[in-house]
Amino acid sequence: MTPGLLLATSACGILLSLTGAFRAPRWWLATSLVSTLTALAAAAWVLATGGAWEWRSAFLIGGEGVHLRLDGVSALFLALLAVVGGAGAAYSREYWADPAHPASARLGRWWWSTLLLCMGLLLLCSNGLHFLIAWELFALCAYFLITLDGQRREVRAAGWLYLAASHAGTLALFAFFSLLAARTGSWDLGPMREQANLAPLFWLALFGFGVKGGVFPLHIWLPSAHANAPSHVSAILSGVAIKMGIYGIVRFSGWLPVPPAAGWLVTTLGVVSAVLGVAFALGQHDLKRLLAYHSVENIGIILMGVGFAMVATAHGQAAWGALALAGGLLHVWNHGLFKSLLFLGAGSVLHATGTREMSRLGGLWRVMPWTASLFALGAAAISGLPPLNGFVSEWLVYLGMFDALNQPGAAVVVAIPAIVLLAMTGALALACFVKVCGVVFLGASRSPAAGHAHECGPWMRGPMLVLAAGCVAIGLAPFVFWPALHTAVAAWRGTWTDVPAPESLTTLGLFHVALAALAAVAAAWLWRRAHRGGWARAGTWDCGYAAPTARMQYTAGSFASIITEWFAWILRPERHAHRPEEAFPRRAAFEEHTPETVLERVIQPCARLVMWLSGGARRLQHGRTHAYILYLILGLAAVAVLTLAWGR
Amino acid sequence: MGLNLVALGTSRLPSLIRVAALQGMVLGIMPLVIEHELRLMVLVIAAATVAMKGLVIPALLRRAMRTANIDRDLYPLIGFLPSLLLGAAGMIGAVVLARRLPLLPEHRESLLVAGALASVLTGLLLLIGRSKAISQVCGYLILENGIYLFGLLLIHSTPLLVEGGILLDLTVAVFVTGIIVDRIQRAFDSLDTRKLTVLRE
Repeated sequence: MTPGLLLATSACGILLSLTGAFRAPRWWLATSLVSTLTALAAAAWVLATGGAWEWRSAFLIGGEGVHLRLDGVSALFLALLAVVGGAGAAYSREYWADPAHPASARLGRWWWSTLLLCMGLLLLCSNGLHFLIAWELFALCAYFLITLDGQRREVRAAGWLYLAASHAGTLALFAFFSLLAARTGSWDLGPMREQANLAPLFWLALFGFGVKGGVFPLHIWLPSAHANAPSHVSAILSGVAIKMGIYGIVRFSGWLPVPPAAGWLVTTLGVVSAVLGVAFALGQHDLKRLLAYHSVENIGIILMGVGFAMVATAHGQAAWGALALAGGLLHVWNHGLFKSLLFLGAGSVLHATGTREMSRLGGLWRVMPWTASLFALGAAAISGLPPLNGFVSEWLVYLGMFDALNQPGAAVVVAIPAIVLLAMTGALALACFVKVCGVVFLGASRSPAAGHAHECGPWMRGPMLVLAAGCVAIGLAPFVFWPALHTAVAAWRGTWTDVPAPESLTTLGLFHVALAALAAVAAAWLWRRAHRGGWARAGTWDCGYAAPTARMQYTAGSFASIITEWFAWILRPERHAHRPEEAFPRRAAFEEHTPETVLERVIQPCARLVMWLSGGARRLQHGRTHAYILYLILGLAAVAVLTLAWGR
Repeated sequence: MGLNLVALGTSRLPSLIRVAALQGMVLGIMPLVIEHELRLMVLVIAAATVAMKGLVIPALLRRAMRTANIDRDLYPLIGFLPSLLLGAAGMIGAVVLARRLPLLPEHRESLLVAGALASVLTGLLLLIGRSKAISQVCGYLILENGIYLFGLLLIHSTPLLVEGGILLDLTVAVFVTGIIVDRIQRAFDSLDTRKLTVLRE
């Protein structure tokens, strides 16, 4: 079977699933899964053989012939889309089930299928006009999925913010593609690196795709949208949708010439996103909002890889550029896998307890062992701990940067701080996930809702197991996935075809296997010892306090407060404290809240200024005909003065 | 041109209509005064203008005023004294402007262009400064008189048909406005256009 046939089957599957979205959920699920599996097969075929698939048709849409292309870069993203799309579809069967959500469940299925279809088209389109159409449709589908639970006000607000931010980015993309078409004379896309006059257009693309990707100062829409969407939607938003921004940046930095400063800027943006994303995540108390900020962090890591590859092309250094790019692209997969896993795990917690507030959870390990274990696995992966996949991709990025250190030139100046900050990001992410796992799954339950939690069913557990298996597979056998990365890197830059797999990759894989085996042995030994000795349950030592309660545990805020203090200059936490005073104190309270600084301190004041100005302008339109005639005369007089004064 | 100031200064609707009619008649006679040799076309235009502007249109307006049963005060948005001052300033401005315009030498010395500009400005001032629909029609008439005065410069090159068309248009416009005024009066009990601001969106 060729990729074309597989893709056609996949498209048929997704179209058939649309017919069953309203009345036949089983049919919908079956066709969706078939469709995603065939799409995965097509992507795997392209990635394994290294050959691109291209199809031109005489069929016109908007006056442009349909031109589809599946090469290494798009196949990489298509594979991720297929995996997360299929997992989310299966997950939604139990998570967003018909009895609990009679109206929105069917709509959710319908929009899910259209979202997958639009994202698939976006990855395949090789025509600027069709790319824009698919982009816009995909943004709208995501909006309808975010606002699936539109009864709640904060969901509608989050959806609106997403829509506004997304369209600001789309505006830049409209300018980008129009100017591109105007300068090249055709909407057709493809490699055109030799036309140096296209280079400045990259800034527009960086802005447009950066908004969708959630790069640090442009990420304002991301936390609220990810937190308020249903969890399987958050998973695909964070796992795949924001990767479309990365796809755009990778695609067009590969096809078009880029300005010399672009690589530096992208790397800097990556570093800033990584460090500040994790800093903001540490300040959050809402489980899904915290995960959303980790998306900003991981986008930053990906951009560091991509940015270093761009720097390397500017310096003609294929070797370390290819390594950094491969690391970034592998991190696209990895982040898609473990972040979807974490969001699905968070959804399982939300489904069981009805709250995302970490200070109301606690002690869930005992009642939800599957969710807790899988979430912990995802947490270890996202923190970049061996022997999981997060470590592999960050290792490749590190390798690229270390190799850059050996070369003379300006790259060293950026590589050293970037390495240091990437290491710091990993440490902070580990601290953050220790906080999450500790507060949510360990200790005693902080509210009755958490006490009455229940384990999720097989339809929610299965997709999480699949995603976790992906994380483990990439971690244990990274060299298996090198050919796929090699294909993508060669598709990005045609001259980088003979990049050898780094030797350390095999070593790393063996080391991971050994580490995993050692961990398994240690776990088995501990298990046997615990069973032989028998369990003895006892209360935690409470310093002799007579009446300990669950509220005396570390909260999410107090656990992270040392680190959030370091970042108080950007986090700007809002604190309201009523301290206990006198000998017999009254009720005391302490409250801490970390706002979205960029949104509340920069965007909202600007928006208020614009509203104030336009409110003033609106007063001109009052409906009095006399004054309208006066406007006409003033306009005419102005024109007359202009022509008399400057017209000669 | 003095008539313009009278139009601005008057506070009564019938006198405003009378002023507009008088101006129209003066305009009608104008070509006879300007032209040295009397030709049939000039005569026809003069007669038609006098008949339309001096007799038919004022009659239509008076009829509308009677049927709509309006009181005769004008309720200015811009007071009479300020509008007189503005009108005078506009007139001076028109004279100054007319001297600076690139005109043919034979038109440069006459006051025709200045008068035309002043009339146009007066008409616009009436449109802005008076609130009743009928007074706005009068403003429109005076504005049109100014344009007609401009047209006199070109009387040899403008075909009779165009002149006739303009006159017919004007008459129909006034006729229609008369009907509308009547309807507005019946529907809203007022002819004050200041109150017609609800339809702005």
